[in-house]
Amino acid sequence: MADNIKTSSYDALVIGAGIAGGEAALNLANNGYSVLLVEKDLSVGGKMILLSKVFPTLDCAACITTPKVSEISRHPGITIYTGSEVRRVVKKSENNFEAEVVKHPRYVIEDDCTACQLCEQACPVVVKDQYQYNLVGRKAAFIPFSIASPRVAAIDIENCTLCGACEKVCPTKCIDFTMEPEEFLVSVGTVIVATGFRLFDPLNMPRYGYGEYKNVLTSMEMERQLAPTRPFNTILRPGDGKMPDKLAYVLCTGSRDATVGNPICSQICCMYSIKQAQLLMGALPMADVTIYYINIRSFGKGFEEFYEQAKGMGVNFIKGKIGKITEKENGNLVLRYEDINENRLREAEHDMVILSVGVLPNPDAASIFQGEELKLDHLNFIGQARPLANPSETSIKGVFVAGTASGPMDIPDSILSAGSASSEAMSYLIRKG
Amino acid sequence: MEEAEKGKTSRYLRDKKGVSEEARENLKKFTRIRKSILDALKEGEMTIAQLSQKLSMPGHEVVFYLMTLVKYGQVQTGEIDDMDEYYSYKLKK
Repeated sequence: MADNIKTSSYDALVIGAGIAGGEAALNLANNGYSVLLVEKDLSVGGKMILLSKVFPTLDCAACITTPKVSEISRHPGITIYTGSEVRRVVKKSENNFEAEVVKHPRYVIEDDCTACQLCEQACPVVVKDQYQYNLVGRKAAFIPFSIASPRVAAIDIENCTLCGACEKVCPTKCIDFTMEPEEFLVSVGTVIVATGFRLFDPLNMPRYGYGEYKNVLTSMEMERQLAPTRPFNTILRPGDGKMPDKLAYVLCTGSRDATVGNPICSQICCMYSIKQAQLLMGALPMADVTIYYINIRSFGKGFEEFYEQAKGMGVNFIKGKIGKITEKENGNLVLRYEDINENRLREAEHDMVILSVGVLPNPDAASIFQGEELKLDHLNFIGQARPLANPSETSIKGVFVAGTASGPMDIPDSILSAGSASSEAMSYLIRKG
Repeated sequence: MEEAEKGKTSRYLRDKKGVSEEARENLKKFTRIRKSILDALKEGEMTIAQLSQKLSMPGHEVVFYLMTLVKYGQVQTGEIDDMDEYYSYKLKK
């Protein structure tokens, strides 16, 4: 083992600090277990922290996430590595796992950064802001987003021109370009995999024109436009800055579609689209919002009422399957669709189209387990050894799965799943294997 | 390894690994576009469509760069037109 590898031990390793990983870590730590929480991104909070509001209550997502994230970040029993990845996990014996973790350099000394953003103002470089889904730019020296945790600057070293402007203005001299990756060898008693999901990339459906037609957005791009920390001052078409007044949602984009390799329902798209439609009716009172759907799946508590509420607000629902989207010279979009109820082909013009993209597996976690195999299910989500009897068990005893790493689910179910995984992990630690 | 002076470490990494051509080109592009947008707005408030025509730049690029300048406080949003379609933008005083 190289001299510069640091060693440490914890009761549990949680991979992924989204809402499920964070909840699982918090449950373990509140019961006296030490936890290492590893997150590849620069902030804790996963995708939820970037949402506008949540369905069906329309509560502010940040208002729910931020206190939880703060509790996780301040808990003395939880050590958090952001901008880090777990490279390898090996099960040596029961209650004895060994993990290799790499912490990538942030080029900012976290403890010294006051989040004053002077470095951000001084930085001359602008690149696409991935936290705003590329709708606007950010600097190469940047705070990921206003409610990021830790709220600490980072340097995007790939795009930095090393001009030194950030260092010159930093009042605490916390920017340090001599930082190198840090490697850790960690011993843990149990592992929870909470690596979340990926969103379907609509570039894989060229007939919808995403990427080519600038007024075709994904639902996450619209989510950012609706959030309080939105990229624009209001809802705008990214193609020309026009305020839209005739918007369309295309449900099941990349879900329930075997032709794109995802035959299952993503479970959240109907409701998040209905949520966004309601928020749009509030933000753009004169706008027409139409949702094109195959079936509305309002299966959860309060979901059907939420759907009825949207209809009552004037959201137009059309049972129709979109064949193709084409763009007019003025940037408007023509949707050619099968009207399922009338059994006819129709066309409709809208000035903005939002693709309700589905949930895809994130199978990367499986490859880090060496020795015993972490099995995936037939859809490439983390396999559940006993999905009915114990949904958090995986193919490796002592490794548990939490949240959407095991399949599509909404936020309350992710938190429930994290509760189950953390309870099982504690039980495993107490039983000693 | 020679120890870099605290607060002047960018030179250390620049000497060690250099700066990619892509990063340099990206900076040049943004600097050029930023100047052209700010110069155009010196003449008065403009909508994105007007800026796009004046600068011969695609609308989506104007939206991206203009909104970035709004975010970083160099440009501010003005009034919306009579049709409630397009905002105008002006230099921040």
